[in-house]
This record gives sequence, C-alpha cells and structure tokens, in this order.
Amino acid sequence: MSLRTSLKALPTMLRIGFSEAVAYRAEMIIWVLATTMPLIMLALWSAVARTGAVGRFGQAEFVGYFLAAFCVRQLTSSWVAWLLSYEVKQGTLAMRLLRPISPLLAYATEVLAGIPLRLLVVAPVVAISLWVVGAGAVPASLGGWGLFGLSLVGAWLVTFYLNVLLGTLSLYLESSQKLMDIYMVLYFVCSGYMFPVEFFPPGVRMVIDVLPFRYQMGLPVELMTGAHATGPALVLLAKQWGWVVGLGVVATLVWRRGLARFAAFGG
Amino acid sequence: MISVRGLRKHYQVHKRPPGLKAALRSLVHRSYTSVKAVDGISFDIKPGERVGFLGPNGAGKTTTLKVLAGLLHPSEGEVHVDGHVPRLREEAFLKKIMLVMGQKQQLLWDLPPAETFELNRAIYDVPRPQYKQTLEELVSLLELEDLITKPTRQLSLGERMKCELAAALIHRPRVLFLDEPTIGLDVSMQVTMRAFIKAYNEKTGATLILTSHYMDDVAALCPRVIVIDKGQLSYDGTLDALVQRVRPEKRVVLRLARPVDAALLESLGRVVSHEPGSAVLQVQQDAVNATVGRALSTLPVTDLTVENAPLEEVMSELFQEGKARRAEAAREAVPA
Amino acid sequence: MLIPRRYLRLLGVQLKASGLLALQYRADFLAEGLTSLAWTFTALAPLFVVFGTRPSIEGWTFHESLLVVGWFTLLQGVLEGAISPSLTGVVEHIRKGTLDFVLLKPADAQFLVSTQRFLPWRAVNVLSGVGLFVYAFVSLGRWPSFPGVLASLVLLGTSVLLLYSLWILVVSAAFFVVKVDNLTYLFTSIFDAARWPSSVFRGVLAVVFTFIIPLALMTTFPALAMLGRLPWTWLVGAVVGSVVFAWVARRVWLMSIRHYTSASS
Repeated sequence: MSLRTSLKALPTMLRIGFSEAVAYRAEMIIWVLATTMPLIMLALWSAVARTGAVGRFGQAEFVGYFLAAFCVRQLTSSWVAWLLSYEVKQGTLAMRLLRPISPLLAYATEVLAGIPLRLLVVAPVVAISLWVVGAGAVPASLGGWGLFGLSLVGAWLVTFYLNVLLGTLSLYLESSQKLMDIYMVLYFVCSGYMFPVEFFPPGVRMVIDVLPFRYQMGLPVELMTGAHATGPALVLLAKQWGWVVGLGVVATLVWRRGLARFAAFGG
Repeated sequence: MISVRGLRKHYQVHKRPPGLKAALRSLVHRSYTSVKAVDGISFDIKPGERVGFLGPNGAGKTTTLKVLAGLLHPSEGEVHVDGHVPRLREEAFLKKIMLVMGQKQQLLWDLPPAETFELNRAIYDVPRPQYKQTLEELVSLLELEDLITKPTRQLSLGERMKCELAAALIHRPRVLFLDEPTIGLDVSMQVTMRAFIKAYNEKTGATLILTSHYMDDVAALCPRVIVIDKGQLSYDGTLDALVQRVRPEKRVVLRLARPVDAALLESLGRVVSHEPGSAVLQVQQDAVNATVGRALSTLPVTDLTVENAPLEEVMSELFQEGKARRAEAAREAVPA
Repeated sequence: MLIPRRYLRLLGVQLKASGLLALQYRADFLAEGLTSLAWTFTALAPLFVVFGTRPSIEGWTFHESLLVVGWFTLLQGVLEGAISPSLTGVVEHIRKGTLDFVLLKPADAQFLVSTQRFLPWRAVNVLSGVGLFVYAFVSLGRWPSFPGVLASLVLLGTSVLLLYSLWILVVSAAFFVVKVDNLTYLFTSIFDAARWPSSVFRGVLAVVFTFIIPLALMTTFPALAMLGRLPWTWLVGAVVGSVVFAWVARRVWLMSIRHYTSASS
C-alpha cells in the first residue's frame, strides 16, 4: 500500500479509533482493574521490605517501581494477537483485506488511538508516585525523559510486533490461545512486571537480558525510576531497538506468508 | 471488464467422522480430503453488466467471488478484473472493487455508521467534495437520514444492511461483488435493496456480480445468469433462456366462477393444483394457444394468465438434473 | 440442596461432549501440560525470588508458602477446567444475543450456563497442585495431621464454592457492560493475588481479600489447615462465609437475568 495514502488516512483513522476507545470506556476500566498485578506485587514486596531493604529497594523504591510498572503496562499493551485470531476465526479479516490499507497499520492505529484515554488513568498514578516517593519517581533530567520516552516507544513496538507474530500464528494453528497464554506467563515473570529483573540470580539475568520481555516492561520502568546512568541506559536501549528491528522484520515476513496461506485456504 | 479462464480452486480439508473412537484415532492420525470448490470455470463479463451466480449451497459461488475480489488465490487459471490480477491486491485494484457479504460486516459495531463512512473516505482517499456528494445521494436513496448517527448495534438487521451497502459504495467501486446481500431481510427491505442496487448500476455503469438464495433477487437484477454446480459452470446466458431450457412448459392459471370436474381439467393438460375457485395447468409451450382457447370455451373462466414455472422450482429441477447426470456418469465409470 | 436427577444427567451429557471436544484437539494436551507447568513455574519464580531475600515473610517460610501456591495451582485447574470455559461461553452468548436460547430451555439458566463447557486437559493443574503439597511436606519433614487433612478437604469444598460464586458475579457483570471479553481476564487476574499467603496484605487489601473478594479463604485457609494452624473458629467462619457468599451471588445472578430479560427486546 502506498505510504502517501496511508499517511493521509492516518489522522482520520486515529480519530475514529479514539471514538471507539471512548465507546468502550467501561471496557477499559475493567481492563485497568485487571492489570493491577503491580499493586499486589507492591503489597507483597512492601511486606518483605518491612524488615529491611532488598538490594537498593526500600519500601519507597518499591512504590516507585511498581507504580511505574503499572503505568508502562497501560501505555504499551497491545491486544492485536487476540483481535487477529478472533478475526481469523470469524472470517472478518477478509473485510480488512478488501481495503486498500495494510491491516497491520489499521491494528496499530487502533491500539495507539486508545492511549489518550489511558493517560487519564496513568496521570493520577504518577501523581501519587511523586507524592509518596518524591522526585525520584520520574527521570531527573530532560535527557532522562528523552531516554525514557525512547524506551517507551521501543517497548510499545516490541509488544506490538510480538502480538502480530502470535496473532498470525492463528492462521496456522487451530487454536493459538495456548501460545498466547504461554507468552503472557513469560511476559509476567521475565519482564520485570512482578519484580525487578535485578532480583534474578546472575545466571538467569544473562538469559533475561537476551529475551525480549525485559525490553517490554523492565527497561522503561528502570529508566523512569532512574536506575541507570546514561551509558548503561544507552546500551540497554540499543538492545531494545535491536529487538524492535528484528521483530519488525520477522513479524512482517510471517504476516505476509500467513496472508498467502489465508488466501490459499480461505477465510 | 472481468475475464476468467480455467479457474480452479482446491482445498485440503481435515476430515473426522463423529464418535469417540474416531476422536481418539484423530489424536494420532488425521486424514485429509481434497475439496474441489471450483473446478475449471471460464467466463467474461463486460463493463456495466449485472450477472447473477446461481447454484446450490457449496457450489463454489462464494469461492469464485472471493477469488475475483483477491481474497483467495486460484489454484489454477487466469483471472483478470479490469486489467488487474486480483490476487496481487494492488491498491489501484482494491480502490475499484468492493465485496459486500450479507453475513459479514465492516461497520464499526459500537459507533454510528457515519464514522465508518468517514473512515472509508480516509482509507479510500476519496476527495471531500465527491465524498459529500456520494454520501448525500446514498443517504437520500437509501433513506438513511436517521440511521447514520445511531450506534450500529442499535440498528435493525435491515437498517444495518442498508448502511453496510452505503459504506461499501463510498469510494464508488467500478466492480461490485454482492454475496447474499439480502439474506435474512424482510420482503419490503429486499425490494428496497434490489431497486437501489439496480439504480446504482444504471447510474454509475458499475459492473455487478450477485449471488443470492432468493431467486427474486436474481430475476429482478440480473439479465444474465451463470449457473455453477459442484464447482463447474453448467449454464451461462439469459435467465429466460435458462427457464426455457429447463422447463419448456408454461403454466396456465385459471380463476373459476364455480367448481369444475377434475376430469375436465385433466383433459386440458397436467393439473398442478386444483381448488374450488382456481386451477393451475402445465402445458407444452406449443400447446398454449390451443389450451387457452379450449379452456375459455369449455370452462367458467373469470380470469386467465399464462406464466413461467416459479424460478425456485426451475432451479431445484436444474440442480436435480445435475445430480442425476453425475450419478449416471459415476455408474458408467465403474465397470460392472 | 437436592439436585434433581435430570440435572445430573444433563451434567453427564455436557461432560461427555466436552471430553470428545478435548480429544479432537490433539496438540492441546501437550500445550496444556506445558502451560500448566509454566503457570506453576510463574507461581514459583517470584516465590524463589522473594524467599531468596528472607527466610520467612509475615510468618510464612518458603515451604509453607509452597502449600499456598499448591492450593492456588489446584484451584486454578478447577477454575480453568470447569469454570472459566463456561464464563467465556456466556460472554459469547451475550455478545451474539443467543442467551435467549438458554433462557428458553426448561432448566435453571444458572445451571445451564455453568455446565456448558469443560476443558478436561486442565486437570493437569490439579495434579501439579497435589505434587506441590507432597514436595512441600517432604521438605518440611512431617505430614499433616488427620484432622488437618479433613479440615482442608472441607475447605476445598468451600473454596470451589467461593470460586464458582465469584465467577457468577463476574458473569452477572457481563449483562451490564457493552463489550465483555475482558471480564475473563479480569477474573483470572484478580484470582492471581491468591497465590500469596494472605498475611502479606495489610490495610484495605487485607479487608478486600478476606471479605469482599475472599481470596484468603480459598488458598491461605486450607494451607493453614494442612499445617494444623487454622483455628476451628476460622474454619466455621469459612464455611458460613462461603455459603453466604454463594447465596449473594445467586441473588445477583437472578437480578441480572431480570435486568437482561426486561432490557432486551
């Protein structure tokens, strides 16, 4: 599809996506309630920290970390895998394919259009974090904010591409639900969502650093709470964007092949 | 406009008989069968034509439409739509066509249809003035004024289908594929849809291909029909000629002033139905004049009309014929 | 409560149908086993991490906490094998407007929607749970007392009842929300908090998880019972509490059905 048409259509697509998000606001509140695991983990780690700090984490640091984790989840999450597999099952993917615009772009705008509404949830949480933790809850400098922003965009893209990859598999498998379950489990444990990845023993850390999950959650959270100096932060960002590019290529290729298969077998 | 040469579409389908044993067996081994959804079809359609695809369920009509719309890749054969190869899904091609499926919708469920129209305007890159004009026409022709600002989920099926059609026409497609567009609609809504589709074709000169279970749709809309049966083309021509071929007999419908003897009717032709105040006879075409003359002179006729057999009957006869022919062929193929 | 024979027969039919369906998806068995192990691993990984920093937290040692995780895993098997699939079914019914067909049938609607689908492969989770119990007690170097086991079995009953009632409440919410897919997710993620001993929660969360969403009763109580640390008054409280909770859930369900039948056309 030509880039020009896509760019011209983008503002309208975003606006209508936003209207849809508003229509589904009750939905979103339910989803927000469903993503409160960082608060549970916060309660747990606060109980642990009552008898003394864990590494560099005292009670206040845990508050900062898990509130940031909550916010990052709100802003980077993606439901494209579910949407795709649902549309494959219902055959409505065909309706998307009839349109002269890439379905992937359409999915991406749908997710992006939901972000303004999510900011409404995120803003008060950040305020609470600032109140409890103080200035340490957010990056200290403009440069810090820049790195954090970059990591947030990277995290969004890694999550999006992983979703596309998983969703496309539903073109091959009878039920890709199980794979999505496994993905969620790995995401929860390995991303820094339930506890900071630095709590893993060193051997496991090496593996975690190589997997994409940390770059979906842990990295932006760490950059928001100022866990890294600029040097190491840049190294981590480079690794994250490596994943962005790699997954982008793989997801697009698999998607194209999946479509060819869809066209061979019918919807 | 559209040319199809030797189109074939075969699928591999996983097959499992019912029952616990079969379920257990399929854990280890799955058997596949090849289904020939479309098996060698060729035809040409000129710009502005309205063509109806007829055939029993699973005959390959929808598969053919999906191939023409670029959603399915043909297993074999050449397909061209206005100079494009559909399976390449070029932007220029997609902007020229639209497929409306009665059972699948593109309208955003929880937003008013107006939003989907707007979205399509952006996606199809329709210039504002043209969009405004098209929308105004669609709204007045389909009487959508009150509908397009209500969330889609609150519309009735018929209202939704009208909006669905409007959404499909925002970019003024040159080729319109309609797959069961009137399914589930009440009779008056079917009439509205038909009239609108016909008007769109006449006004814009768009090419139209339609599949429908309702023969009336096809009779009202399509001067030309293509009959597809078991993936093969079994007829291509006018609807009238098809009826002539399958059922050369005509029906003479009589209204009677008083009850008449059954034997009297039987002497005139085959009695299709007989009630105290009316009767329907079936006679060979060349005998119509003679029969009408005799009926008028021997019976207390108050009204008389000559009709073709109902289309539904013609079709079911046609497909029965196809079945019988295949059975015959199968018997001949197997040595005794 | 007397269950008519007809209902037992219905349950049998549904179970058989689900069994057949389960056999049809051959890859599921493996995937189910893997997901189950993965889930158990998720439940354990944070536990290892947490207890890597402290020998005991809020009065629970690592192996004692394993019992709570065991109960969590076991109940998760029950939830995903027997409760959630039907929930997804109801959500689908409401979305497609086919719930009317269920309401037309001459049997209790709650019974029908609760038994419409089972995923037998998920019983793997129950086995993992039992495995955790065995491992935990072997590591603790002792076995639970007979009254302790008896009490935990009673609590298994109340836990399943609570889980089921909680599910009915979530389904009831589905009648009031436009797009309801996320409810299943909400349900499992709330339940997720039950993998930790309830004493780590303080203040508001403690109240919520004991009285409003009684997660403490589901996993921590039976674990305490196995350890012989559950006061008998708590046991009685759990039984009474879960019955009351079930009753409330039933009332809410009936109210929602009334809302549905009067609101839809």
